[in-house]
Amino acid sequence: MNRLRKKLDHLLSIKEKALVAYLVAGDPDLDSTLNLMHLFVESGVDIIEVGVPFTDPIAEGPVIQKAHDRALKNNISLPKIIKLVEDFRKNDNSTPIILMGYLNTFSYHKNLIDNSDQHGVDAVLVVDIPGELSISSYGISNPNIDSISLISPTTSEERIEKIAKNGSGFIYYVTLRGVTGSSNLDVKEINTNIQKIRSYSDIPTLAGFGIKSNEDAKLLSEYSDGIIVGSSIVDMIDKQSDSKDFDRIGKYLRELKNAIL
Amino acid sequence: MSIKQKFPDIDGFFGEYGGKFVPETLMYALEELEDTYSKLKDSEDFKKEFYADLSNFVGRPSPLYYADRLTKHYKSGKIWLKREDLNHTGAHKINNTVGQILLAKYMGKKRIIAETGAGQHGVATATVAARLGLECHIYMGAEDVKRQSLNVYRIKLLGAQVHAVDSGTATLKDALNEALRDWVTNVDDTYYIIGSVTGPHPYPMIVRDFNSVVGFELIDQSKAMFGKMPDAIVACVGGGSNAMGAFYPFIDKKETRLIGVEAGGNGVSTGEHAAPLNDGSPGVLHGARSYLMQDEVGQVKDTKSVSAGLDYPGVGPEHSWLKDIGRAEYVAINDQEALEAFHTVTKLEGIMPALETAHAFAYLDQLSKELDESSNIIVNVSGRGDKDINTVAEIDGIKF
Repeated sequence: MNRLRKKLDHLLSIKEKALVAYLVAGDPDLDSTLNLMHLFVESGVDIIEVGVPFTDPIAEGPVIQKAHDRALKNNISLPKIIKLVEDFRKNDNSTPIILMGYLNTFSYHKNLIDNSDQHGVDAVLVVDIPGELSISSYGISNPNIDSISLISPTTSEERIEKIAKNGSGFIYYVTLRGVTGSSNLDVKEINTNIQKIRSYSDIPTLAGFGIKSNEDAKLLSEYSDGIIVGSSIVDMIDKQSDSKDFDRIGKYLRELKNAIL
Repeated sequence: MSIKQKFPDIDGFFGEYGGKFVPETLMYALEELEDTYSKLKDSEDFKKEFYADLSNFVGRPSPLYYADRLTKHYKSGKIWLKREDLNHTGAHKINNTVGQILLAKYMGKKRIIAETGAGQHGVATATVAARLGLECHIYMGAEDVKRQSLNVYRIKLLGAQVHAVDSGTATLKDALNEALRDWVTNVDDTYYIIGSVTGPHPYPMIVRDFNSVVGFELIDQSKAMFGKMPDAIVACVGGGSNAMGAFYPFIDKKETRLIGVEAGGNGVSTGEHAAPLNDGSPGVLHGARSYLMQDEVGQVKDTKSVSAGLDYPGVGPEHSWLKDIGRAEYVAINDQEALEAFHTVTKLEGIMPALETAHAFAYLDQLSKELDESSNIIVNVSGRGDKDINTVAEIDGIKF
């Protein structure tokens, strides 16, 4: 059992909700990313989602797009990100790591990704592969690497069934129509859809996109098995990129974790 | 069954190219579009409305014109021009937008969005949106807003909003990214009119079908003008919609060579170009798998071309497939050669082609050496060059 499944099982057994935090590898630089990942864990983050920068990130709002651009200026590539994960694993062998990115870079490095469990990666989330397709068609078939699938408010029930049965690790429920960092959560719709997902799958359902405050986090955690936070963290990283004083981020994450307890 | 009826397959693939590689939120919108299109495309009412608009609003059929002086200039084969530049709004782009706005109307969508490179698709979209009184937003790379200011103004006159896109390389690909993001956000009430045979399925098929009126007219006109099928059709390829529209009805007519001309920028060997079929490898961009200009770590490369409409690192998936199966040939023409052809055609024929189209004309230099005097060559004149006058003047050192 990989770290992701172990962690999610554990959280379920103690009836805690998962806090997943996102950052873009190499923004503002790889050393900072490594420090931030450890800071995340110290601040109560259960699972880390590492964004793999891409030139054309069509699902991202302006905050994360700019982070991708900054990372690309530092020539961040998947081989360097795998090395980052190896470095992280020297001091932390239990926090699950998910690589999140776009098909072009993942399929370009498919052998590296397919063997990335050896380097400490637990799962991948490829934003632009429809959930009913298997990433094994794209050269990533290692059963130790989970493939996180997205379900959105516009996903038909027929496809929810297919995606829920096809996904592993957890189902990522996209809480709104829009790119990362948008707003306008519709709680009733979220609740209905997560119920539907649960009727087709036993794996946990986590909710992400549009979480901006402790109140959002608390509300969503009531309907899901955990929450995923990205844009607000990436925005804070950007604002502290000169001083590299990331204490505020630690405080923000601790508050989020407390809000969903 | 003929080749052209089999593709794309049910999942939207042309061989290994195409598909639907989009964020989950858009999957339902693509399915909705696919359903609507498959219901409407063979309906007599829909076809009647589409063809009536093509003849009365666009001005079709466009002529097949015998270019006497160009023919004499190259001294081999008769050169014929398919005059898409004479269409309303000045390019082939209007064929597709007239069709897609009908789909939007049948689907009850209130808001229209589109991306544009040279601005021709933006103008064509704003035009059909104005005609139906629909809200319209055009995404355009900030670089292109600068080099195509005339079209920007035309779009605004038509009542649409132009959004300059600063992200990435601030050109066509980034405009497409931003249009997709708008669509993800406003998916319930918005119709996205993609301007080329690119993007996720069913777009490459829909845009090809609407624009293939060009190729079907060519079949009739070739018979009428020279009594047989042409020996070659030459068309420029950015995303590839004007070429695909001309090529598609000829895929089964093996006697006709299909030649797509990509933008060679500073020269294919310099790496500074926009010619993925000549110097790219398969990858995934904007929802489809196709040939792509990418670097050694799988990032999409910057492109270079004097022509905004060809300045795109990807290409429609059906072209990738036609290349791999050897049915179409893809060559590249650099900026300098295209500019020379622009001047040659303008002076010899009194027809000022778009810089995109000038790439296709420039290939006549090479092609005329391969064909004999009895052959018939068709150049698809995808658009007129008025929009490029500032660019050409600047290169020639002229200030207004």
